[in-house]
Amino acid sequence: MPEFTLTDEQTNLRDLARKFARSEMLPKVAECDRVPRFPDEIYRKAWDLGLMNLNVPAEYGGAGLGLLEQCLITEELARACAGMTTTISANNLALEPILLAGTPEQRQQILTPFCADYNLASFCLTEPGGGSDAGALTTRARRDGDAYVLDGEKCFITNAPHASLYTVFATVDPTQRHKAITAFVVPRSSPGVTPGKDEDKMGHRASSTSTVRFDGVRVPTGMRLGAEGDGFSIAMRTLDQTRTPIGALAVGIAQAALDHAGAYALKRHAFGKAIAEHQAIQIKLANMAQDVLAARLLTWNAAWTIDHGQSGTLESSIAKCFASDAAMRVADEAIQIFGGYGYMREYPVEKLLRDAKLTQIYEGSNEIQRIVIARELLKGYA
Amino acid sequence: MQIAVLVKPTPEGETRLRANSAGSGLDPEGVKWVLAGYDESAVEQALLLKEAVAGSRVRVVSFGPAPRTEEVLRSSVALGCDAATWVEHPLDLAPDALLTARALAHVLAKDRPDLVLVGKQAGDDESGVVGPAIAELLGIAGFGGVANLRWDAGASRFTFERPVEGGTETGESPTPLVAGLQQAWNDPRTAKLPNILKSRKAAIEKVAWSEVAAGLGEHARPTSRTVRFRLPAPRTGARMIEYKTPEEAAQQLVRALREEAKVFP
Repeated sequence: MPEFTLTDEQTNLRDLARKFARSEMLPKVAECDRVPRFPDEIYRKAWDLGLMNLNVPAEYGGAGLGLLEQCLITEELARACAGMTTTISANNLALEPILLAGTPEQRQQILTPFCADYNLASFCLTEPGGGSDAGALTTRARRDGDAYVLDGEKCFITNAPHASLYTVFATVDPTQRHKAITAFVVPRSSPGVTPGKDEDKMGHRASSTSTVRFDGVRVPTGMRLGAEGDGFSIAMRTLDQTRTPIGALAVGIAQAALDHAGAYALKRHAFGKAIAEHQAIQIKLANMAQDVLAARLLTWNAAWTIDHGQSGTLESSIAKCFASDAAMRVADEAIQIFGGYGYMREYPVEKLLRDAKLTQIYEGSNEIQRIVIARELLKGYA
Repeated sequence: MQIAVLVKPTPEGETRLRANSAGSGLDPEGVKWVLAGYDESAVEQALLLKEAVAGSRVRVVSFGPAPRTEEVLRSSVALGCDAATWVEHPLDLAPDALLTARALAHVLAKDRPDLVLVGKQAGDDESGVVGPAIAELLGIAGFGGVANLRWDAGASRFTFERPVEGGTETGESPTPLVAGLQQAWNDPRTAKLPNILKSRKAAIEKVAWSEVAAGLGEHARPTSRTVRFRLPAPRTGARMIEYKTPEEAAQQLVRALREEAKVFP
């Protein structure tokens, strides 16, 4: 950068995701949103084509892609369905702690069998009593011989009812807040692990979200990631990696909204001409296009920064925050352009607004992103 | 079994096409070239045979200019072809179907594969000449409109189907064979992500046009050229019906169909 031409490889990857999104996802989007339904057959096919576990190195059976490539794929998938994309991408979030903090033996032992088959994993950080305030989590990990015993409850956990593996953040001493948080890898098969019932969500209805209870779950010390107390840092560094693709997911929603609105504006007539010929609509479309392109370039910028070895905390927070806000604005305007039809579930745009909303909330709410942005920014003036 | 599959880059269905300034062909600027249609079906057939017959090897071969030809060869490798051969010609050569067949036959004559698969016609110009011409030039059996080609190891022959008007023919052929594949009878696979990454690094055997041209001698030039190429005129004549109620819309539509379009007596 600045070089905005994609390589042939990047174009191929984007085309693969686009083809999959159109041929496999799109025909089932409306049904999965309405019912709602978790389309396992689509996710299995995504795994089979290599569209899952994008951040896992090839030596463990993943795609081993950089963030820019992950963003290109995520945007294309989300252009068809943000909810399905959330499920497909959630493995990246759940496995990133293992990539960041796992020993080579742990990575080999956990990731290789996981990636060799269609498997889902969940990142278990948020609790009923606290989301953004991760330091306040209460899930306990008590040392007992060569194992830890986990007790507590996590909530809003993507893929939880279908996951075979959980990365869990628990505290070894609640009085120590951040300093005592520790990360563990917990197989679903461990006695005492109980996912809750699927939440009835506003959007992302093709994905699955529930609580997970841990009741006296024994986790061998060999499944601890890093040292006791490393968990908070592992979680934050994980989110530094996965925040940018969430921006790309939001760009996909925004692009879909713009696509629908543009096509509709050319077709729909009012006052004797296509509404696209009215300046009121043109101005809306022009503003939407600016949002989409700015959001995309911010995600590319963040991805490029991180791919080149920098932390990218500022860039990725800006990208995620701007892109998700932009997705809300663009989806909102798409509905306005569709008018009354836009408000009807029979048309595709109201779903985009419901889907966009979550991108302002999950993987670090936009309020938290702004705090991070300000903090990083002010470092430069100190 | 040695299988060669011949492919041609064709414009992606969604590409907006324009005529070039000379009016003699497509303007390649901005066109996305892909492996498509009959060729996709031929590659899928090659891969199905490779999976069915142990020890088979599939080589994808194309005669075309840079960079589009390299892209369809890499796409074919990503799908599962074992090797790729590219006979690169200058863009301004503008080969016709017969020259294309001669160039490809020249390359194929070296390896003498057991089976040559082609789309029964190209997805863009639909000439349907290359497959039969190669069979003629190599002096081997050739069939077009083929589907579901199988190898009968016991009888050492190919069996295949030909969907024809009103039914399906079943055919047999010894090796070697040139088969022009029908479209839409198989479900061409999608390349997997790791194979796409590998295909970008795959070696492509390049055959210089100068070498082929030397071999073809006096035949190394097109014998026909496109005099004029034009795109269909933009469609006109659509008329929106003005109405206040659905009943009125239906009445107006029926009146227009009956009186203007004369669809109903």
